[in-house]
Amino acid sequence: MVVFASALTFFFVNLAPGGPASVMRFDVSAEQREALIHRMGLDRPVPERYVEWLAAAVRGDLGSSLLTDEPVAQRIGERLPNTLALAGSALLLSVGAGIPIGVVQALRRGRAVDHVLSLLSAVGLAVPVFWLGIVLILVFAVSLHVLPSAGVTGVASDSLGDRLAHLVLPAVALATTILPTIVRFVRSSTIEVLDEDYIRTATSKGLSPRTVITRHALRNALIPVVSAIGALVPRLLGGTVVTEAVFGWPGMGRLALEAAQGRDYPLVTGLTVVVAAIAVAASLAVDLAYTRIDPRIRLT
Amino acid sequence: MQLLPMSFRPSALILVAALAVSACTGAGQPAASGAPSAQGQPVAGGTVTIPIGADPTLNPWSPNAFVESLFINRVIFEGLTKPGKDLAPAPDLATSWTIAPDGLSWTFKLRDGVKWTDGKPFSADDVAFTFNDIVLKKELGAQNAASYAAVKSVTVVDPTTVRFDLSRKFAALASFLAYNSGIVPKHVLSADPLKTTSFNKGTPVSTGPFKVEKYTSGQSVSLVRNDSYFGPKPYLDKVVFTVVPDPNTQIAQALSGDLTIMILDNKAAVDRVKNASGLTVVSRPLVQYYWLALNQTDSRFTDVRVRQAFVHAIDRKAIIKSVELGYGQVANSPITPALKAYFDPSLSEKYPYDPPKAKELLASAGWTPGANGVLQKDGKSFQFTMDVGQRGVLEPVNALIQQDLKNVGVIADLNTMEWNAYIQKDVVRRDYTATVNWWTYPSDPDVFPYYHSSAAGKGFNIPGYQDPKLDDLLVQGQSASDLEQRKAVYKQLQAYTSETLPYLFLWYPQEIDVLSSSLQGVPELGLRDAVQYIGEWWLAKK
Repeated sequence: MVVFASALTFFFVNLAPGGPASVMRFDVSAEQREALIHRMGLDRPVPERYVEWLAAAVRGDLGSSLLTDEPVAQRIGERLPNTLALAGSALLLSVGAGIPIGVVQALRRGRAVDHVLSLLSAVGLAVPVFWLGIVLILVFAVSLHVLPSAGVTGVASDSLGDRLAHLVLPAVALATTILPTIVRFVRSSTIEVLDEDYIRTATSKGLSPRTVITRHALRNALIPVVSAIGALVPRLLGGTVVTEAVFGWPGMGRLALEAAQGRDYPLVTGLTVVVAAIAVAASLAVDLAYTRIDPRIRLT
Repeated sequence: MQLLPMSFRPSALILVAALAVSACTGAGQPAASGAPSAQGQPVAGGTVTIPIGADPTLNPWSPNAFVESLFINRVIFEGLTKPGKDLAPAPDLATSWTIAPDGLSWTFKLRDGVKWTDGKPFSADDVAFTFNDIVLKKELGAQNAASYAAVKSVTVVDPTTVRFDLSRKFAALASFLAYNSGIVPKHVLSADPLKTTSFNKGTPVSTGPFKVEKYTSGQSVSLVRNDSYFGPKPYLDKVVFTVVPDPNTQIAQALSGDLTIMILDNKAAVDRVKNASGLTVVSRPLVQYYWLALNQTDSRFTDVRVRQAFVHAIDRKAIIKSVELGYGQVANSPITPALKAYFDPSLSEKYPYDPPKAKELLASAGWTPGANGVLQKDGKSFQFTMDVGQRGVLEPVNALIQQDLKNVGVIADLNTMEWNAYIQKDVVRRDYTATVNWWTYPSDPDVFPYYHSSAAGKGFNIPGYQDPKLDDLLVQGQSASDLEQRKAVYKQLQAYTSETLPYLFLWYPQEIDVLSSSLQGVPELGLRDAVQYIGEWWLAKK
């Protein structure tokens, strides 16, 4: 899977029009351009370069960035923790808020609360992240002055509290890319479960509504939600590209954008491999979570 | 840490609504209520924060030293000369220079007692290394190397004297040496001059008034005062360059008081920033002009009447007003008003916006209206494609030009392209018919590389215009040695290019800088030049 993704990326990115940013600039003479292309080895055929790249990659060497000459693995390593922190917080936030909101909507189906929350999730889906990001900055950093506007730490301080304060706005902005979807999944699957016979049985046994919901309904309602979350991880990682640019967050999303714009072939390929590996790991984690919450599924 | 309030306060909601209307370019009350400009005696201390769009490469000659690298490289690396406040070359690492009578060799006397930040002495060897082993080594493809095509070699005469030997006269040498031509240390870079990452992406050894303290990828580069600097001690303690890729976030940061000075690329936000207290907005001249290139391999564009007609047809004042919010002036030659000693203001009304005149000129060139109002000649409609690179103001400008040309019966189809792909098609392959772009060049009227016929087709002569008379003027400008003689040549060149229009000149833009009101001592230059005087900047106490 990961090798396939790397091959696809390597060929596509090399065949895209343009070239490395150092070559494709206005103020570079034809002579310099030729010298640079030769020095980067880009005058050799793409398949030959891919085989060479793959041979090194299986030994753990992802090559060197064309834009900075630093090892690709090092550049990704610097940025990966920041993206994981951002995407992880956004995921926690979405799940933490999405499940209760979805359940409330399911229980109050058709009532005013349900309609208002549905409207809000529709708005949440429609609002672009870059716009929401700027609005959040203007409200909380410029007007209210309660949270920092951008970056991962302040210029002078580097405490845990400072880092968390910097994380709040981007995590909230990023969470909106998946929160409405989670809410909808929770709502519809809870509604479905509430109509099941065993819920009626549990209720008629005289169990309290709280026990019925948490012990019986939610447990079953969450099974499709977990698989939905697994499918949302790639969307979350995609959302980091814009979120990281708006909030000056030094993560992989921004790195990917710079790498693609600058046609940094080895870096784009390396990033794809890492993101593909994360997506594969996420779907594996979902499969494992299934066995936990759904006793009907067993790993064989 | 304060948790997120679950409901917005009413004032915040109003702000959000206001922003929705104003397309989120920035508004609101600034938190920093800085004291209004407190002139007076400079005081020492403080940190200045400047935003940059991406991680810089700290080596002026690296092919990866893009625009975001210029600021820091100009602060930490010094050239033999630097742009004076009048933009004429002023002494920096060189204290004086003399030109041999034949104009083919220049001798620079270097400053004595200069030290690199690692304590090693700076000498003529470093200058010779920078040029002979980096710039003139063609296989390295060093950034800016094309500017030194006339330099044969650099020779160490003694530890404080170097000689540049030239293959042809090059009157602009001292000006070019002031432009992104910092001297780098031989003892650090001799093994790999362009790819030493501990230097380019770390803490380079330099000679300027500030030195790199810490490089944090994706976040910031902080500079501290260099105590072994040869010049007067700077007032500021620190200069921090923060990496903020999104221009709207940069504006928000300026409003929240997180930045001290920045270039306002999005001029649409200028009024909102002006209304913020604690911030000052200034406009600065630039050595830059926008142009429309018409490919001279297309026979329709070799007729000068067609080119002149286009300039009459394009409402350049309207373009300046709409995309630059008035911060610019109509251009009629490649010499910008920023070059005060050379600029000829008498040409400014040469091509008024005049569609009837344009139609008349086109008719005299054989283009007459067809049935649908589109001009025709020999049964063919006047229709072509303009390639549009996605950068800066190029997209709205092209749309306006398209409309103006349509008004005189010329159909321009716009082909919008991602920047990198655009460069490959239009610049590398020269596979285009018409395109708008700009040139920025060293603070000297020597525009040889952009106009000489030897640069047509592959060099910087984008339209591929070839004209022996223009070639002659360009060479004369390079050969003239004293200022008066050069002024005379470049006055002729301005008149000649405005008449023949190798490129269709559009406008000279101005830069808008946003400064914290407490920041003082910044010279009236574009920010990329003003940073070379950062030793004179100071922060008034609030």
